[in-house]
Amino acid sequence: MKRSLIGRLWPNATAAVLFVVFAFPVYWMFATALKPTGDIVTEDPVFFPTDVTFGHFAKAVDADHFWTLVGNSLTVTILAVLFALVIALLASFALARMRFRGRRGFLLTFMIAQMAPWEVMVIAIYMIVRDAEMLDSLVPLTVFYMIMVLPFTILTLRGYVAAVPKELEESAMVDGCTRGQAFVRVIFPLLAPGLMATSLFGFITAWNEFPLVLILNKGVEKQTLPLWLSSFQTTFGDDWGATMAAASLFALPILVLFVFLQRKAVSGLTTGAVKG
Amino acid sequence: MKRRLIAAIGVAGMVLTVAACGGDDGEGTGAGADGFKGQTLTVWAMDGSTPPNWTKDLTAAFEKKTGAKLKFETQKWEGIQQKITTALSESNPPDVIEVGNTQTPAYAATGGLADLSDLRKGVGKDWAENLNESAVYEGKQYAAPWYFANRVVIYNKKVWADAGIKETPKTRDEFFDALETIGKKTDAEPLYLPGQNWYFFDGLTIGQGADLVKKEGDKYVSNLGDPKVAKAMEIYKKYQSFSKAPKDKDEATPQQAEVFAKGNVGAFIGMGWEAGTAIAANKDIEKNIGYFTIPGETAGKPEGVFLGGSNFAVAAGSEKQELAKEFLNLALSDKFEGALAKENGVIPNKESLNSNLDGNEVAEAAAPAAAQGGTTPLIPEWAAVENTPNPIKTYMTAVLNGKSPAAAAKQVEAEINKRLAQQN
Amino acid sequence: MSVQTERTDTAPAPVVRKTDPAPPGPAAGGPAGRRRGVPAPYLLLLPALLATVVLLGWPLVKNGLLSFQNLNPRQLILHLTEWNGVDNYTEVLGSSDFWKVVQRSVVFTAVNVALIMVLGTLVGLLLARLGKGMRLLLMLGLVLAWAMPVIAATTVYQWLFAQRFGVVNWILDALGWHAMADYNWFGSQLSTFSVITLLIVWQSVPFVAINLYAATTTIPKELYEAASLDGAGAWTGFTSVTFPFLRPFLWATTFLEVIWVFKAFPQIFAINAGGPDRLTETLPIYAFVEGPGNQHYGMGSAISFLTILILLGLTAYYLRTVLKQEEDEL
Repeated sequence: MKRSLIGRLWPNATAAVLFVVFAFPVYWMFATALKPTGDIVTEDPVFFPTDVTFGHFAKAVDADHFWTLVGNSLTVTILAVLFALVIALLASFALARMRFRGRRGFLLTFMIAQMAPWEVMVIAIYMIVRDAEMLDSLVPLTVFYMIMVLPFTILTLRGYVAAVPKELEESAMVDGCTRGQAFVRVIFPLLAPGLMATSLFGFITAWNEFPLVLILNKGVEKQTLPLWLSSFQTTFGDDWGATMAAASLFALPILVLFVFLQRKAVSGLTTGAVKG
Repeated sequence: MKRRLIAAIGVAGMVLTVAACGGDDGEGTGAGADGFKGQTLTVWAMDGSTPPNWTKDLTAAFEKKTGAKLKFETQKWEGIQQKITTALSESNPPDVIEVGNTQTPAYAATGGLADLSDLRKGVGKDWAENLNESAVYEGKQYAAPWYFANRVVIYNKKVWADAGIKETPKTRDEFFDALETIGKKTDAEPLYLPGQNWYFFDGLTIGQGADLVKKEGDKYVSNLGDPKVAKAMEIYKKYQSFSKAPKDKDEATPQQAEVFAKGNVGAFIGMGWEAGTAIAANKDIEKNIGYFTIPGETAGKPEGVFLGGSNFAVAAGSEKQELAKEFLNLALSDKFEGALAKENGVIPNKESLNSNLDGNEVAEAAAPAAAQGGTTPLIPEWAAVENTPNPIKTYMTAVLNGKSPAAAAKQVEAEINKRLAQQN
Repeated sequence: MSVQTERTDTAPAPVVRKTDPAPPGPAAGGPAGRRRGVPAPYLLLLPALLATVVLLGWPLVKNGLLSFQNLNPRQLILHLTEWNGVDNYTEVLGSSDFWKVVQRSVVFTAVNVALIMVLGTLVGLLLARLGKGMRLLLMLGLVLAWAMPVIAATTVYQWLFAQRFGVVNWILDALGWHAMADYNWFGSQLSTFSVITLLIVWQSVPFVAINLYAATTTIPKELYEAASLDGAGAWTGFTSVTFPFLRPFLWATTFLEVIWVFKAFPQIFAINAGGPDRLTETLPIYAFVEGPGNQHYGMGSAISFLTILILLGLTAYYLRTVLKQEEDEL
């Protein structure tokens, strides 16, 4: 079946337009951050900056404690995601592969847990953390970010575990592996793409979190980057160059992580499924 | 609790034994001692309140006098009420907090502030009565008046000269004429006034002799429907018509001083220290900045202004009550209170220090209006009205967008009444 | 990629079942677990359960308790507990504002989810039709939008739609719509919602599209061959093969999107704080403004509790279906 020229052209044309639509805001953020102010505040936008400056980035990084905040954000995000993955892996294995009483109850619990409106529960969490004398610490942030992403991680990983053919596991066990060994040697490697993919959600959630850290950690040494970004925005109001530089710095790690992990995850998913 | 008690006793002991060899810098009780060594006093001050030299000198003097460390933490106005409330509930709150005068009665009523009545015997014996009003609640001193300020017109001399205007206006109509001339003769924006500069509006209501709330039975309710408030809003609307600033934003988003700093704005209405913000953003603007009193109806009587101010309060939960008082004694001493007035151009808490303002352009522009100054209602219920989204700002934007003041007042009435009724 | 949402029902899993000659039947795991006499599944689930109970259950219960209290700055600061029965609930449920917000939240969620699912599906199907190079390019665009942290994205959107010097107004003006030259997008309810919707749809479509594309790659070719023997066109191919195959996936994704859109907080709050005139407040924003924002914490807790109930109501049908399916699985 040969498609006509138009038939071949329109998907590509649409894709090109869509690419521009989806990528433009990201492009515009970086472009604005790199342009001198004269090219930002102008009646006719400069779409392709020729005159590049790093002055806005310098201003953005100049904030007090910037690097402390970077460190805090990284610590909290990475730990929260790691804990969530480990706990979720155990749980998802049980949910995907085992039959036991109360299984549906567990599933329901996690599905409902996914709906928790965290932003409006901050005061309850604040009172709990305050009464436990744990304010101004990264520990509560880490564990609460962990639980924010845990339900999604469990339910998603459960899918990946279920997609690993049971025969592989069984044959490993026939070869004398225990169930645990079978898991570690056979299933875990197959799950690696799934773990990466699932962790993306966790990264972006924890990296972004804002209302909780605002109320729990008043000391700037224990705060995270979203607070820096938002205070930057209120302080510099219409200094779009500096604001976009700050937003770029904030977004960059996640963008890189996504572009990097995404490809592995997609190929992992598709090959895994096709093999099955 | 026990720890706090022991600390207090310990501190009191120190004060007694070492008082004899106390230092002589600063005023007040002056109990210089090393008894506070190893402690750190945390002070929350608002953005813009603590000029660098004053802060540096005060910190040095405090550390020398007490042996303790002093840590200033600068706070932003945005969301400050929530932050102070939660902080006061904690076991380790900031020790000294700057609280806006409109919000002080509400915090005094919560029980979260320490009683500072004994300051009146020392450093506070000659505080100006009208400035101290917001710090007193049910007869007790819950805060110490720190500094006061009212808005002035900050203008760009170059823009005004370009428009051929030689004199600063003495009446409101002259001011409007000047703004019109600037609009015609230059390509500058005559005035930068966003739709929600609500403290300027509050000043206009004070100028009209209007009240924002009234008492109905034993409850306070909205009084925005008062024709006098409507009159004030009409004046605001006229001012705003000279500006391209957004009608639905306040003067902090974006910072009006930063807009002014770009040099293409004739004037804005703001606090004297905002000129510093403008200069920080653009050094070249400094030579063009001038100030004048917001003119009123007639030449003899300037416009009403909101007399903004800040008090220092001590958290009741702080374990460093004595050290906090040491700080207040020092910071509010004639030396430092005077220095703050001088450096920031703000009105000090006692009249005897007003001479520090001589020759200060900002203060000289601000002073004539201060006599006509007023505040928001000094009742604990008031603070909730200023929570975001402030219904009075909603009212202002509604009128600026064409609603009649009466209809706009009606629109926000229920919300204001709800907030006035909710606390306690 | 993360759409392995509710997995037993997403696409790849059915593939496993369908192409697998061996009956899925009772899992090897089940008997093994029982054989050893150790309650293995419970041990494996213990950490997750414990975390959920302590870190989510406790705040939920605390939140529930607070909703029956009069909790203002004074009570919070002095650590007082003042029960006030169901006063908060009577006040909220009796206020017309609340019901307006509920209505607005439901409409907002419905519009956004519909847009996301339709556009996401179309883009996903387009991905499947593209050549390798073009597909990678479009994927890159999608991933960039998807990965953009929400707070950075809201900042960028404010800049794109800025009244002065915003590029969107410039483009609209250049295209001949001159009234938009200095348009204030955040001045009215509809225009603010348009920006918020665009932001949310822009960020959510990639999730649906990429995952849907991944799912289509697992559709066995034979199914299409069988269909085309019957002389089916592209549309019939879609309705008779692709759509039925993807149905569980679409279903699960819709459920997730409903949750995410309904709960959307930073997008709405950072763009215009629920303004103008509180006209873009959805339930989570309303709860935040009335509670923590207004320092009327008991009230905020009551609203947030109602928010959870409404969300449960919106998703109840899906939850029931999934639980029913679960009975037949494994």
